[in-house]
Formats: sequence, structure tokens, C-alpha cells
Amino acid sequence: MGPYILRRLIYLLAVLLTVSAITFGLMHAVPGGPFTTEKALPEAVIESLEEHYHLNDPLIVQYGRYLSDVMIPHFSLTPPGNSLDEDALFKLKIGPVYMRWMNFGPSYAARNRTVNDIFRDQLPVSIQLGVMALAVALIIGLPLGTMAALKQNSILDYTGMSVAIFGVSVPVIVLGPILIWVFGVTLKWLPPSGWGAKPPFTYFFLPAKFDPEYFKYALMPAVALGMGSSAIIARLTRASLLQVIREDYIRTARAKGLRERTILIRHALKNAMIPVVTILGPMFAALVTGTFVTELTFGIPGMGRYFVTSITNRDYPVIMGTILLYAVFLVIANLVVDIIYGFLDPRISYD
Amino acid sequence: MSSDTTATKTLSQNGVPHLASGPRESLFADAVRRLVRNKAAIIGAVIILGLVSLAVFADQIAPYPYDRQTLDDQNVAPAWVIKVFPTIKGYTAASDKYPLGADYVGRDLLSRIIYGARVSLTVAFIGPLISLLIGVVYGSISGYCGGWIDNLMMRIVDVLYAFPSLLFIILLLAFFRSSSMNPEAGTFLYAMNQLDARTGGMLFIFIGIGLTAWQNMARLTRGQVLAVREKEYIEAARTVGAKPFGIMFRHILPNILGPLVVSETLTIPGYITTEAFLSFIGLGVNPPTPSWGSMISEGARVIRTYPNQAIFPALALAVTMFAFNFLGDGLRDAFDPRQRGTQ
Amino acid sequence: MKGKLVTIISAVILLSMILSACQTPADNEIIQTVIVEGTPQTIVVTATPNPDSAEPAADEEPVIKKIRANFTSGDVPTIDPAVAQDSSAIQILEETYVGLTRMDEIDSTIVPGIAESWDISEDGLTYTFHLRKDIPWVRYNPRSGEVEQVLDCEGNPRMVTADDVVYGTLRTLTPATASPYAYLLKFVLDGASEFSEGDTTDPETVGITAIDELTLEMNFIAPAAYNINIAGMWPATPQPKWLIEGDDCTEARNERWIEAGVYQSYGPYALKEWVHDYTISLIKNPFWPGTDDIPQPKIDEIEFLMLDDTAAFAEYEAGNMDVALHAPIADLDRIKADPVLSQELHISPQFSTYFYGFNTKAPVVDDVRVRRALSLAVDRESLIDKVLKGDQEPAGWFCRPGLVACPTHDTHPSLGVKYDPEQARQILDEYLQEKGLTADKLDISLFINDSSGHQRIAEAIQQMWKDALGINVQIQKQEWKVFLETTKSRETPQVWRMGWNLDYPDANNFIHEVMSVNGNANPADDNGEPYGGINWKNERFEELCDQAAVEMDPQKRIEMYAEAEQILVWEDAAIIPIYWYTSVEVTRPYIVRTYANSNTQHFEKWDIVN
Repeated sequence: MGPYILRRLIYLLAVLLTVSAITFGLMHAVPGGPFTTEKALPEAVIESLEEHYHLNDPLIVQYGRYLSDVMIPHFSLTPPGNSLDEDALFKLKIGPVYMRWMNFGPSYAARNRTVNDIFRDQLPVSIQLGVMALAVALIIGLPLGTMAALKQNSILDYTGMSVAIFGVSVPVIVLGPILIWVFGVTLKWLPPSGWGAKPPFTYFFLPAKFDPEYFKYALMPAVALGMGSSAIIARLTRASLLQVIREDYIRTARAKGLRERTILIRHALKNAMIPVVTILGPMFAALVTGTFVTELTFGIPGMGRYFVTSITNRDYPVIMGTILLYAVFLVIANLVVDIIYGFLDPRISYD
Repeated sequence: MSSDTTATKTLSQNGVPHLASGPRESLFADAVRRLVRNKAAIIGAVIILGLVSLAVFADQIAPYPYDRQTLDDQNVAPAWVIKVFPTIKGYTAASDKYPLGADYVGRDLLSRIIYGARVSLTVAFIGPLISLLIGVVYGSISGYCGGWIDNLMMRIVDVLYAFPSLLFIILLLAFFRSSSMNPEAGTFLYAMNQLDARTGGMLFIFIGIGLTAWQNMARLTRGQVLAVREKEYIEAARTVGAKPFGIMFRHILPNILGPLVVSETLTIPGYITTEAFLSFIGLGVNPPTPSWGSMISEGARVIRTYPNQAIFPALALAVTMFAFNFLGDGLRDAFDPRQRGTQ
Repeated sequence: MKGKLVTIISAVILLSMILSACQTPADNEIIQTVIVEGTPQTIVVTATPNPDSAEPAADEEPVIKKIRANFTSGDVPTIDPAVAQDSSAIQILEETYVGLTRMDEIDSTIVPGIAESWDISEDGLTYTFHLRKDIPWVRYNPRSGEVEQVLDCEGNPRMVTADDVVYGTLRTLTPATASPYAYLLKFVLDGASEFSEGDTTDPETVGITAIDELTLEMNFIAPAAYNINIAGMWPATPQPKWLIEGDDCTEARNERWIEAGVYQSYGPYALKEWVHDYTISLIKNPFWPGTDDIPQPKIDEIEFLMLDDTAAFAEYEAGNMDVALHAPIADLDRIKADPVLSQELHISPQFSTYFYGFNTKAPVVDDVRVRRALSLAVDRESLIDKVLKGDQEPAGWFCRPGLVACPTHDTHPSLGVKYDPEQARQILDEYLQEKGLTADKLDISLFINDSSGHQRIAEAIQQMWKDALGINVQIQKQEWKVFLETTKSRETPQVWRMGWNLDYPDANNFIHEVMSVNGNANPADDNGEPYGGINWKNERFEELCDQAAVEMDPQKRIEMYAEAEQILVWEDAAIIPIYWYTSVEVTRPYIVRTYANSNTQHFEKWDIVN
């Protein structure tokens, strides 16, 4: 197990290097620069900005600098100053030595913030939203799928699946405003927009306190975002359960006279969960990073919008940061899934 | 990043059954029989056929041209729509000229929905087609060659997989649409730009979507090829001296293509939502070409004031998604040999 | 079926009751139920004194007057006066950093800011400002929850001095600061241009000097009328050197000095909290002395929500916001028909112009007749009535009337261009006959950036051109940054959309700074030859702009600009002026407020009443 994880982590590094190199090249190839503005900046200003952010260097030098800023830890005997250059995602004090590691660079759009700040302040919100959306997806999807499978080709099956497909069919673009209209504005049960927690967060991503107010803010966006995924889970659960209940061991269990409930829970569901678990990884990654529309509609200060705005702003460090983040999420999510997989299905072993 | 897209992608990877073995014809006939018995799938297929004919014969069916504006008729709605959405009564002029009402510049909603089917359905067919084309070729080369080539090719897929496709589409669109001002006449890029302009900006959207969606198909194909490659009949072909290329195309591909196509149908809704998402962030088709995505995102902005302008195109989209989903599920169920004879 | 529905509804209601039962008010909010328009509503954020209360007010906790308003979606990029450029940033600065002078938000006259008076030399080039002596630097202390004075190393309060203004101005001009608005200073202030372009690093060469602690002298390049406007703008405000660069008793904060809790300012409000991407809150600065034109605020706190206009309006309708500063156009029909909302709606003019530019050297539109025909065929009134709906004004020329020296409809009733499809057709026919073409053969592209609002306008105008002239124009959308680059490049498309928003209220800021050679919409090479944008050079126009800038007689200036406009929009028809902006806002009836003619509100004059 240990070596396996290690190997996967090395692999992650390779993926990240490649992804970062491609992104770096691609974003510089696209026309328009970070300092192209409506009221055109004077040449001199652009020059000094480009110099300040080292944008005049050859691309390969810029890329090298970026990699070293992100990967190589810096040590010093004095505490790091306030300047943006000395910011880092991790700042530690080991004995007398100060270490800072992973500086994803400044944001060009906001003069006083770094990508590290965006990770610190905005990412936790997206993670919280993603987790809750995933919970919504599971809460709706699993029972729906199970029910549909057990009553295959019955009215229950068709209605269940229709409900599920309805979930994917109505885009957040429409569902969000409708929810806001009904529950936020007309009935005034839930706040139409906003988020119930703000930085600083406990353990990097947890809200400082969980209170009903927090969940009131989270309910509508989590449902809007999780709806589509719930459909996928429902359909997958159905398909996989249908397959499992025809397996020999289920027949054997039945023949042994085990109660239907026991068979279903202890044997069928557990095995049917394997494919469902597999998609949870990428699904979680997609939920955390795919929140652009939801965040915009519900005015949530998360990370999702940076995936789009960083590109439209040509905010190079933010583009790099968000893309790398996405890649890390995806690879790690898949790794975690593989490990869980091992527990669910003892036949799989990692060596 | 549209969550739907990614998640749907993943489904196809796992939702597809292992490959069938045994005589093809009877399997196929069997599958068709099962498909025909699946009412939901048949309804789905009928709806899709209907939509395709709508799109093809839009010129004949639609009551108005999609770009015919009458500013004086902006936002009008027929009486029945006002009855359904009573909140709009106070400020909406009733007019039965337009069956579903008119939009913000007085264009017929119904006609635009009918014409809009063109974009959504083209995305629904072209996207998977490009993805199949690239994915199958890539995956079969990787699977058939094996060894370090396979390893390298699969690692490339892994990297691309970890790369958010949306970024790629946005960058691609920005790139194409900016160079569109001055490529020299006669060049390939120029021809592409002309075609894009003619199709109302659809071309580059298709390319963007197609180019970013083939990785799963490649993985899937590779897996299938690996499974088939060691089968007896392939061995047999090899021993009689068939060339690898011939084996690939004559023996392996025909055997695995069915399930691959089936799995691709499951991703279609994802392509449709991607188009809607691109419209939402402003990268959709050029006006006045209608697409459901652009109509929905425009409509969503006025959803409180004129709910009909969002809900009708959303309904069209939902029906299409329903149809593709049911058909896709039905196809999968039908071609899944493990379920054979269980009904 | 019905039974099920009832069950579902009751379940939802039950759930909502449970949810509302566990609702706990946030710590620092005052919840009060007030009667608004006959329906009881709980207004969480707006605390109003209860008139029926028998208790004398003095015994109660002092009531905190708080309002919520909105900025557009996305974080405020910076609130550093040296580099601010977005309207949200300028709004924050307007309340925290008052300039030497200030523009009245209603009639655009110049009123004293932190300078209580100023003298102008005979030749109109030297201005001597006398600063108020009673303005201390303050900061909000998150721990005590109060605004406190900033102390220097000896423990005395730091007051705003002439040196602070000099430091601020020079910091804005320093090339390393890369200030987007330094250009305004460069353009009027003596020596600013050389200094900001790095030709010299000697600050003495810049025409700004602190004579003593409270006396400041500024030397200008020309005796222009707008010198005093620019001197009062945010790039030339005092800035806290000790905080940015550090001193004996203050830690250097560099770019981070604008974070909440650190930020120091002196205006009527101080920065209380800044949750990035979410909200920014201002709190009353009790140390602001209050002047005739900038009184002490009556409202204690202002919270700005960074929301998409649609989301913001939903908050407003849900009763959680007191002012919606940009009511969505999409909802205007409903707002105007709603008995309550229509009363709360207010539309006021804005100093901005929406226009289409021609690349006057591009095929087809290189002929002035085509340009004129296209301009004449735009039915601006219908566009406003049917598409824009915000009571905008149809623009006959570029410079927004109301700005200093701009022609108005009263002074120049026949100026510019008006909708006239007949004339448009005649002019075009003449061109077509000469070229032996038909209208549908004309190949014209209109470029817009990808926003829903621009698309609506473009679609409507596309149809107007088709109806009136038979020309089929292709609309092409580009992503914003690409669009900006395209429209200023050598490959500028034939027709492209743009808008201009004032920096200072003078015709010069519009006509000269945008349209003349090397202006914002008319980029030129080093030899002064335009190559992109409107790609246009007219000697007479240039001459008029130069003369009008230094002309002291206001009447003559208006005439000069009127002539320049006639060249711009008619004789050469380099642009199609489309409309002059308005701002569309909704405000609760319990708010007494002023309506600013720019994007910047003066909240210190607002109040909450019953």
C-alpha cells in the first residue's frame, strides 16, 4: 500500500509538470494580455508592469521562475515580510528558521492579493459547497437508484429515473434563478444569495462555526449544484445494482434463506457501490471546481468563478494556480477512490 | 467547468459493460429485440427523430424566420402563456401572433426554438463523432501496439484528463476568434473562419468541444482492444499472416465499435449542456443565430419578468436530454450481454 | 394527486418553520420589525428607531443606522488611490480619501475637499491650496470595533498635511507604481509626464510642492479649466507613507496596506471589513470634521455586496438590501408595472456615451456616405424605448450634455445626427449607384464583446440597418480582452462598439481624449499617423481640440467643441453616437438620498428616516 501511494504521488508530480507546461504555453499564446484595459494604459505603465511581473523575460525563464517559486522551499532566519513576493501558501517556523513554501504568485487583477490568498480565502468556500452538493447528490441519487433497480421496469422505476434525468436536464442556469425566485424572494425562507461563512477558516476549510444560518445559505446552491450529479449517481446505482442482484452469490444467499433486507444491504448494495465510488472522485473534483454558474447565480465568494474570470482577465498566475489545483484535485480524488476501492472489493490488491 | 460534463464523461467510462463474445449477428438481433421492448428507449428514439426533422425542416416548419424582428412586438405573449404565468399579466401585451410569445426584440420564440434545435442537435452528433473518431483511433493504436507506446499514449491521456477542458475550449475560442480578423484569403485558417462565420460561430464551438472530449473514448477503446486482442479468432488471423492494420480494422474494430458507440450516446447530454454553459459565459454562437443554450442564458436573466422566455427553451432542452438519456440507457441495457435473457 | 400535493406543501412549510425557528441573529446585527407599505417585514440590516417605543431613546443602545447596497460581481481589485481604476474602487475612495477638491455629485461644480480654499495665479498656471488643519488619519480597529486616530512615533495624532499630498501624487506618478490614472496628472501637471515616464527621477521637477504643513502649490502646464478637477481626483490624494513604506514605529505593509484593519484613511468613512469577493463595509469616521459640502455621515455603516445585478435585485426584493444601484434592465418592465417598485425606481442621467466606431480606412466603410447612412439609419428612440428601457437619451453627438463645455440640445438644436431613414437611403443609393452595387452585396461586420447587453443592442441595430438600408451586417462576438486588442489593432474591424465614461466633467475628457489622434479610440504610431480604432485624422478637428483645451471663454469653448462634434459625427461620420447613459436605481422609501450623475455616490449625505 505504501509504495503504491508513493508511486502515485510521483506520478501526480509528472502530471502536474506537464499540465503546467501546456497551460503556460497556451495562455501566453492567446491574444490579449493582463494589462489590456478599456481605457488603454500608457505604454510606459504597461512596460513597468511587465517589468515588475517579469513578463519581458523569455517564456522558458518565466516558467522556470514559476516552478521554483512553487516547488522550492525558501528558508530564512528573519520572518518573511509583507510584500507579495514573500508570500507563500505554507509559512512555518521550525526552530529559529522560517520556512515558506509554494508561492503561486501575485494576482494581476488585484494588486494586493496573491494566488495563495485566493486559495486561502476562496477555495474553502468551494470545497464546502462541493461537499454539500455531493451530499445532496448522494442523498437523492442513492435511494432513487436503489428503488428503481429493485422495481425494475415498474412505474417506480420510470418515475424514479425520470426524476433523476430531470435533475441533469434542467441546467443550473435556469434552476438557480427559479430557486431564488421561489424560496428566496417570494417565500423568503432562505437567503437569496451569499454564503454563511467567511475567512479565516478552521483547519483550512471548515467554517468557524456551524449554525443553522450557515446551512440556510448553503441549501439552495448545494441543491442546484448537486442535482445534476444526483442523476448520475441514481442511474449508476440502478445499473450496477441490477447487475449485482443477478450474480450467483446473491442467488446463493437467497437460497440459504437469508432475509431479503439482509441480502440487499449486506451483499448487493455493498458490491453495487463499487462503480458509484469510482465516480465520486472525479465528481467531487468537478463539483468543487465546476461551481462557476452556481457561485455567480448565488453570489458565493468561492473559487469557481476564478476558473473563468482568470482566463478572461488573462491573469496568468491565477490561471496557472486554478488549473494546477484542478489537476491536483482530480488526481488525488482518484487516488483516494482507488484506496477506498480496495476496501470495498477485497479482490483488488495494490502491490 | 460544467460539472455535468465531467461527470457524464466518467459515467461512460464505467457504465459500459464488457465486450460481447460469440457470434455477432444473433447478438445484435437479440439486442435490437430487447431495445424494441424497452418503451422508454423507443419513446426517446422517436423524440430524437422528431427533433432531427424539426431541425432539418426548420425553414418549412417554423412560422417565422429566426431573425425576423418586430420591435413593437417585443416581449408579447399569447393569452394562454399569460394564463400559465399570471405574474406577467400587468406588463405584457397579449398577442396571438406568436404561439409561445416573442423575445426582447420581438422575435418569435417558437421559431427560434425550432431553429435552435439545429445547434443543439449538431453539437449532440458532431461532438461525439469527433470524440469517437479521435478516441477510437488513438485508443486502438495504443491498445494494439502495447508496450512502451501504449504506456506513453496512455500517460498523455492522463495528462489531458487532468486538464480542465473548459479552459481549453475558452482559450481555443479566444484564439480562433481573434485571428479571424485577418487570415489571408485562401489559407486553411481563412476557410475555417469563413465557415465559422457562416455557421454563426458554431464551428469553433464544435471543434472545441470535440477536441476536449475524446480522452475517455481513447481509454475505453484501449481497454476493449486489450480484451479482444488475445481472443482466438485474432490469433487465428495473425497466424494466417494478416497485417496488423488489417487485423485492427477487419477484426478488432467491428467487434468493439458497438459498445463504444453505445457508451458515447450516454455522453450526449453532456455536450448539450456544455454548449449552454459556453453561451452563459458569452462564448456561444454569434447573434442572431439561435441556440437553446443562448436562449436559456438570455432567458435566465429575465426569468422573473418573462419566465416564458427561459422556460420554453429550457423545456426543449430538457425533453431532448430526456430522450437522449432514455435512448442511451436503453441501448446500453440492450447491448449489455450480462443482462441477456433476464427480462 | 391533490392529496399528495397538500402533503408535500405541508412538509415544505414544516421544514421552513423548523428552519426559521433555529434562526439566530448574527452578533452585530439589530433585528427589528418595521411596517413597510402595510406589510410587516423583518428588516435585519436596517435598524430604525421605533417611534412607538415608550422608553426614552437615551436609555437604549444607540441605534446603528446601517444600509446595504451593491457593487457588481467580482472582487474590488484594489482600493489604493494610486492604482484604482474601477468604479467600485473609486466609490470606496470617494468616501475614505477625499481629494483637495471634490465634484458635486449633482451639478458637477467644484467644491472644497480637504483644501478649504485655493488661490489661482494671474496666468492661471499656479494653484495654491490651503488645507484644512483638522483632518486626522484614522483606521478601524477590529479588536475594539471602533475607528481610532493614527498616532505618530511621538504619540501625537497624525494629521493630513501637504507633504502627504505630495507623497501621494508622486507615488501615483512613479513608474514602478504603474498607475492607470497617472495619465490624467501627466496631462496637466508640470513635469509629471517626464517624471512618470522615467526621464527623470528627481521629484523636484514635478510641479507639486509643500510650502508648509498646510499649504500646497501645484503648477500646471496650461491655464485649462479642468486643472482644478484633476487636482481633486483620487490619483492626487494624500497617501500614508509611513504605512506603505514603514517608519520607526510602523511596519511597512507594501501592497498589503489596503487590507481591512490596516488601511488608514481620513474621509467621512473608514474601511471596516473586506471579505474578498463578497462584501466590503464602511464605517462612519467620527473624526471627520464635517464641512459644508462633505458633512459628517448620518448613516453609520454601509455594506456593499459584490453581486451580479440580477442576484442583487433578488436581495433587494427579498428585503435584504436598501439600495440596488444597478437595477437589471431585464426586470425594468416588471419594476415599472409594480406599484411598490415603480415608486422606488429612480432614473438619473450618467456622464457616459455609448457609440459604434468605424474603422474609417476599412473596406466599404471607408466611404463617408456609407458611414453617414448607417448612422442615420439607427432609430435611437426605438432602441431606447424597446430595448434599453432605462430612459436613456438618444445621442446626436459624442460629448454628453451637462459636461462642462459640451454642446446641449438647447444651445445647438440642429447639431449632430438624428434618425432619418429617408436621407440614409438616399445617401446610400448614391454610393451604390456610383459603385454599381446593391445593398445586400455590402459586406460589413460589426464586432461586439461578449455581453448580453451589447448583444441586444447589436441585434436591434442589425435589424434597423436591414430594414432601412437592406444591408446585412454580420455580428461577431469576441471575448473582452481579445476585443479590446482587436479594436485598437491595425486590423480593427469595420464597425465596433465602445462606451466612454467620464474621468472629469469636461468636454476635453470626451472629445479630445477619446477621438483625437492618439486618443483612446484612435491609436496612432510614433509619427502621429492613426492605424486602428476609428483610424481617423482631421486637421481641423485636431486644431479645435487643441484650441478649446486652453480657451478661457466658456461660450467660445462650447462653440469650438460643437464644430468638432459636427466634424466627428456628421462631416466625417467617424462614429455613430447611440445613446447617453442613465443610471437606474431602486431605493427604499425610508432612505433620504442624493442621486449622483456619475457612478460615485456621496453616502455621507444620505440618511435613514421613518
